[in-house]
Amino acid sequence: MTRFVALLLTLALGLGTAAPALAQSPTLDKINQSGTLVIGTRTGSPPFGFVNKDNQWVGFSIDLVEQAILPALSKKLGKEIKLEKKESTPPTRIPLLTSNAVDLIAETMTDTRPRRDSVDFSLTFFVTGAQFLVKKGSPIKGIQSIAGKRIAAQQGSTNARIIRERVPNAQLREFPDQPAAFQALVQGQTDAYTNDGIQLAGLKAKAPKPGDWTIVGDFYSYEPYGMAMRKNDSDFRSVVNNGLMEAIESGKYFELYDKWFGPKGEVPYPLTAENKRFLQLQVVPK
Amino acid sequence: MNYKFQWSVLWSGQSGSWLLQGVLMTLEISALAWILAVTLGILSGALRTVPFRPLRAAATFYVEFFRNVPLLVWMFFWYFGVPPLLPAGAQEWLFTHGAEFWAGMFALGVYHGARFSEVMRSGIQAIPRTQFEAAQAMGFTTWQVYRLIILPVALRLIVPPATNESLNLLKNSSVALTISVAELTFQTRQIETYTARAIEALTAGTLIYLALCLSIATIMSRVERRFAIPGLIVRVGGG
Repeated sequence: MTRFVALLLTLALGLGTAAPALAQSPTLDKINQSGTLVIGTRTGSPPFGFVNKDNQWVGFSIDLVEQAILPALSKKLGKEIKLEKKESTPPTRIPLLTSNAVDLIAETMTDTRPRRDSVDFSLTFFVTGAQFLVKKGSPIKGIQSIAGKRIAAQQGSTNARIIRERVPNAQLREFPDQPAAFQALVQGQTDAYTNDGIQLAGLKAKAPKPGDWTIVGDFYSYEPYGMAMRKNDSDFRSVVNNGLMEAIESGKYFELYDKWFGPKGEVPYPLTAENKRFLQLQVVPK
Repeated sequence: MNYKFQWSVLWSGQSGSWLLQGVLMTLEISALAWILAVTLGILSGALRTVPFRPLRAAATFYVEFFRNVPLLVWMFFWYFGVPPLLPAGAQEWLFTHGAEFWAGMFALGVYHGARFSEVMRSGIQAIPRTQFEAAQAMGFTTWQVYRLIILPVALRLIVPPATNESLNLLKNSSVALTISVAELTFQTRQIETYTARAIEALTAGTLIYLALCLSIATIMSRVERRFAIPGLIVRVGGG
């Protein structure tokens, strides 16, 4: 409810004052004034954004912001920019952006066409697709075998939407966050949990007994992750994109990838040649 | 704020039917939880005033235990904590028959029952002690005193605070979305997922909650006027 109220207040204030923004990029202005880039990220989505054993808030998305985007921002504004992290979840991330509470969503957000009506996206920085996490030996083998089954999904995710459209008789149970959805799977309230493959791999790696769980099914969706920003702020968006492009070009991106997804990483998930090529093709010439 | 409103998302596509389903689910879970809460509230509220210590202690324990733990925790308790205590067959049956709804209903009903209980107790204690004594002097048993005299009067005294509690219950039903109950707030988020228009969806939800609460408040104020006891409640401005 507080979120509701905050939103309405922002809305009311916004309508009331409606001060004209003179600058080219309101976001860059805001960051310049405060000296801080505020990002929304996850606390429970290893390895993109999560709180680790030592109680530190870390992850691949956070590293990308710190090591690729912050340097680009500092260069652009000519001063050191600090990072502030706030928690965002699928239902809150777009409101957080539009209400100016955060400047950039750097987590596990899939770039989709309807979302592009509300926010702008950076380059795609990760590619995955939806699968199912089930107990070993489960009869569920993929989206073809979930009819009538109880399927946990994350509220506000693209996966829940696809299941509702493609398998309307699956009993969808939607939870606001990953831990609750996983708990429902562990206790048998649901038969499977669906999310992007990489998220399931992360969850499985973190489970008390990873051997009890298995990830099944072909990708039934295409999930390109992008960082989201307020709409129509192309100067800020260019800085973000340049940061990402430079990281891919210089190899920094692949170093970070290896840190989190390499054989010794948090969630081993090798980069396919195809995906590597795709990332490199997004980099436009200097 | 640089935001273009697009209100049509609220009636295009499936949004309208989702909102309707959400309202129905909110009303359904709130109505059942309300019945449970009022029943528990009357029972434990009355028990907290009876002249028998073990019963008073039991009722006090119920009230303090349930009202002093956040509702969100109770939602998880009834959904994740209770099913493992049941036999395997009952568990499976429950999971295929709306475990989310029943867990949410119990969480809401039992939590608000503890709060209704305090409302009830304050109503009972507002009745002059002499009425108990007069009734007992006339040969009524304690059970009869409560059933025939104390409870009917107390229930008419507590309409205003009970309205307050009922509205809280309706609004708190939104917490059930954390255990996947597709009520109104859940559906507004659903619209947001499909259309990425958060502010429009939340505004629709807000207005619907407002309308529901105002209708309940209006009905309850009619009830209050109809059943007010002359002499016990003084209404300023007549009415």
